[in-house]
Amino acid sequence: MSTSFNDQLVAVLPRLRRFARGLTGSAVEADDLVQAACERALARVHQFQPGTRFDSWMFRIVQTVWIDQLRARETRRTESEDEAFGAGTDEPARRVEARMALREVQAAIALLPAEQRVALLLVTVEGLSYREAAEVAAVPVGTIMSRLARARMALLAKLGGDALRGSTEDAKAE
Amino acid sequence: MQRLSDEILIAYLDGELDEHETLEIVKVLARDDRLQAHAERLNASARLIRAAYDDVLRETVPERLIAAARGERGLNALQRALAWLARWRMVLGERPWWIGVPVAAALAGLMIGGGLGYVAGTEQSASLTAQQDLVTAGAGTNWLDSIAGYHKLFVKAGANDRALMDVPADANADAARKVGQLPSDFRLPNLKPWSLEFQGARLLMIDGQPATQLFYTTDNKSLGALTFVEAESSKADLAPTFDRREDLNILYWRHHGHAYALVGAADIGYLWNIYNDIAWQLDAI
Repeated sequence: MSTSFNDQLVAVLPRLRRFARGLTGSAVEADDLVQAACERALARVHQFQPGTRFDSWMFRIVQTVWIDQLRARETRRTESEDEAFGAGTDEPARRVEARMALREVQAAIALLPAEQRVALLLVTVEGLSYREAAEVAAVPVGTIMSRLARARMALLAKLGGDALRGSTEDAKAE
Repeated sequence: MQRLSDEILIAYLDGELDEHETLEIVKVLARDDRLQAHAERLNASARLIRAAYDDVLRETVPERLIAAARGERGLNALQRALAWLARWRMVLGERPWWIGVPVAAALAGLMIGGGLGYVAGTEQSASLTAQQDLVTAGAGTNWLDSIAGYHKLFVKAGANDRALMDVPADANADAARKVGQLPSDFRLPNLKPWSLEFQGARLLMIDGQPATQLFYTTDNKSLGALTFVEAESSKADLAPTFDRREDLNILYWRHHGHAYALVGAADIGYLWNIYNDIAWQLDAI
């Protein structure tokens, strides 16, 4: 195993965790997913094409493992993560509201169909181009474009005006 | 142009359309206030979507994942975690930051030369010059002080002050290399996945060697503006090391004849994760 391959894998871990968190909606499940994806990547290191984007390759593996898991079982929700957020803490009310707004966004994303969620996370969160996202999802660019548009419009409808007004600033100001 | 579809509008907002299509949509938006408002709501929702997962990037990556990525298991991973913690406890101990300055300078062997930088054929505004004087006065001769000072100068000037940049973000990198504005081996780290937008580069002379300071901004206030410095160095490799200057965190390292530093108000978890990304992109691990 080359050191550079392992180093690349370590380097991309934070983004894999973010992608997996968006897919699963759960911190525990996301880390389990990333761990499984790392193990699969190391077992298939010979399949990686040098000169191509390593992060895209890993996103594809994460997505594949996730789909395999979805097919194998019902997605398990970790109840402890969904306990009343901020309750019993000294967090200022405004900050709690901002965090809740972001939780609301995560919850809305979790309700999207899986393929729309993948397109949204790859393009809007991870910053991949449509072409790169299409390669990860193994679909045509036009399909990514339409899935992304449906996801964005669905979220716009779900979040409404209140969630879009200043909640980003509030959440980041903490 | 026919009635604009949401697909096309979103592709435009994502920067996915060609120049001709983009110009067409700019025209349509200019004469349709409702469509403009719709586009602004889409932009706001995109920011919110990105913000929803920001915290993940600030979290410490669990050791079990690092071990998995390195193909390690069991006791080796535990030993590695303990060694890692011990190392950072040494680096981040309670010592005052200034104790580390001479050591850092000696290790890095990098001194910002003379007038705190050289600007190739650019004119600077009077306000900028005044700001530089402030930076110079407070910077001392240590390179970490200097790059922290430049970071503050950049933040204070704002991304729109193009006089600060020797090479603006929209410059053609190849052309800039040809006219000697950028080093021939210059490579720009792509930090868009971290919501960091490149704003431009500033050229410095560090210890007689050219160095490039790259500026990035973000709408993510928990991350904040960031600068990344690449310089040539004849010193031995140095593992990533943390330091602080007032409210700024600095992560610096050396690899294969180059010295690097990240400067920003972001917490060390963020800097560490961004370091890993940059190191990989530049093959600077």
